[in-house]
Amino acid sequence: MNLVPCTVVENREITPGNYLLTLKVPRAFSRPEPGQFVHLRVSPEVEPLLRRPYSMEGFFEKGNLRGVRIYYSVVGRGSKALSRQPKGQRLDLIGPLGIGFAPSPRRVPILVAGGRGVAPLLFFSRKLRAKKRPFVFLFGARGARELYGVREIKGGRLHLATDDGSIGYHGSVLTLLKREWKEGGHTPLTAEIFTCGPHGLLHEIAEFARAHGIRCEASLEGPMACAVGACRGCPVPLRVGAVENAGRYPAMCLEGPVMDATLVDWDRLP
Amino acid sequence: MTHPAPSLQVRIGSLTLRNPVLVASGIIGYGAEYERLVDLEAIGGIVTKTVTRRARAGNSPPRVVETPSGMLNSIGIENPGLEGFLEIKVPILSTLPCAVVVSVEGEDVREFCELVEGVSGSGVAHAIEVNISCPNVGPHGLRYSTDADMAREVMTAIRPLTTLPLIAKLTPNVTRIAEIAAACESCGADAVSLVNTFIGMAVDSVTRKPILGTVLGGLSGPAIKPLALAKTWEVVQAVDIPVIGMGGITSPRDALEFILVGSTAVQVGTALFANPSLPEACVKEIETYLRRSELPSVGDLIGALEVPPERGVIRAGRSAS
Repeated sequence: MNLVPCTVVENREITPGNYLLTLKVPRAFSRPEPGQFVHLRVSPEVEPLLRRPYSMEGFFEKGNLRGVRIYYSVVGRGSKALSRQPKGQRLDLIGPLGIGFAPSPRRVPILVAGGRGVAPLLFFSRKLRAKKRPFVFLFGARGARELYGVREIKGGRLHLATDDGSIGYHGSVLTLLKREWKEGGHTPLTAEIFTCGPHGLLHEIAEFARAHGIRCEASLEGPMACAVGACRGCPVPLRVGAVENAGRYPAMCLEGPVMDATLVDWDRLP
Repeated sequence: MTHPAPSLQVRIGSLTLRNPVLVASGIIGYGAEYERLVDLEAIGGIVTKTVTRRARAGNSPPRVVETPSGMLNSIGIENPGLEGFLEIKVPILSTLPCAVVVSVEGEDVREFCELVEGVSGSGVAHAIEVNISCPNVGPHGLRYSTDADMAREVMTAIRPLTTLPLIAKLTPNVTRIAEIAAACESCGADAVSLVNTFIGMAVDSVTRKPILGTVLGGLSGPAIKPLALAKTWEVVQAVDIPVIGMGGITSPRDALEFILVGSTAVQVGTALFANPSLPEACVKEIETYLRRSELPSVGDLIGALEVPPERGVIRAGRSAS
């Protein structure tokens, strides 16, 4: 983890309100793991005051160029300011930070993405492909237009779901997951789940995983101030009795953003 | 001919700081968290996250929310407690290349005493900041710094227990902060530090709910700087002990403003999250300013604000007598 300068290479609106940001970073930025994040200064101005944490959609090295990609939606002041940063703009970031996805050696990874939560899972799927590991990718979104990066998913079995039925299964990606689990003949010993998306969806997936004893990692999202474990501003509530240390709050920035979804008290997570 | 380098040293009781720039409590944890981001060798020191007698899990989320030019927090002093501090944090703190001020807060006078004795005995602290002003820890926290008698009670009880400099950290959420500062001084405080956060609130009109889990929180960031400068100004005129000013320092110039108003040292807080090199930049700015003004020492800047006397005193809320 370092504080490094970065330069906007591209900041493109892909679909209304959804952007792909490419940042050039120096060598001092070490190679990130899928699921890790960067704490980005979204503007050279004092406002917005705080940095914003973003999972990486990808990391690349081409000759001397080292870069990270961030896929984000404009949802508040920070992302709005970020969407206005032009090519060539100099910013800085702290990273890579946090704990990424940790697949176990023999289970088949089932990746479940909801909307823009696809970003870290795209990064993850590329790594799985590079390691020639088979995987299943279930991707749900409001409509076909929101299925960002779907053509990038290679080397695994892909199923889509849309709320409006414009492509793939007409309904929730949760139903796809349940169907995949049953029809794919998976067991808790042969497969595990990695998910990112709206917390409501993650909650449902965590309940499913817990009911069936499935290992399930979810990438969480939330406001952070320091992002290095100092301020204790990003607590993750755990289920009471879930683990011996329930009653304390792990910091999302240090012990997450990827965490065991079955231990999280989703009702108390904002 | 070049002038010799100006002296940035300041004294807080028996403690000499190599320069007047500290990082505030609750910002930098126990130093190690920011080891790779903040150059601790360049700054005067750090103030640790507040240590309480027993471990605290902290408040329910959400704990932070950004507001215009500011941040509201309701962390609730999540910390490992005195035993955890002595076991886990002291070994880390003892390796830091800067002054270490340990912040403590008790739920009653006895706890304050146990904390001061424990921290003093650890050998790691260069000074103790007595946090009698956290707005986020239930009914007791603000009690000690909103009531001069209770502040006096705490300071009187802990003063004989340590030879370390005692810094009383004050809340701005009072009518007359100067009275509390004077009470702390009269009971042996070596310095006062201010301001802690202003009590604030954020509301989500869509969900009709408060945004923070605890409803109320503490406001920090550049939004409070003018308020903090005014409180600092008021206290500077009420006490003779050093005043450590803070509240919304976001640029190096802000640090100078607090010093001109009369702060012997300053603390950088919330803005560190955005800009970890800010404390170092503050040190450089002070040094550059001294060189440009051809002043030999930062002492020449402390309280060097030029104010028409009759105005300043009236504004400060203290009678001229």
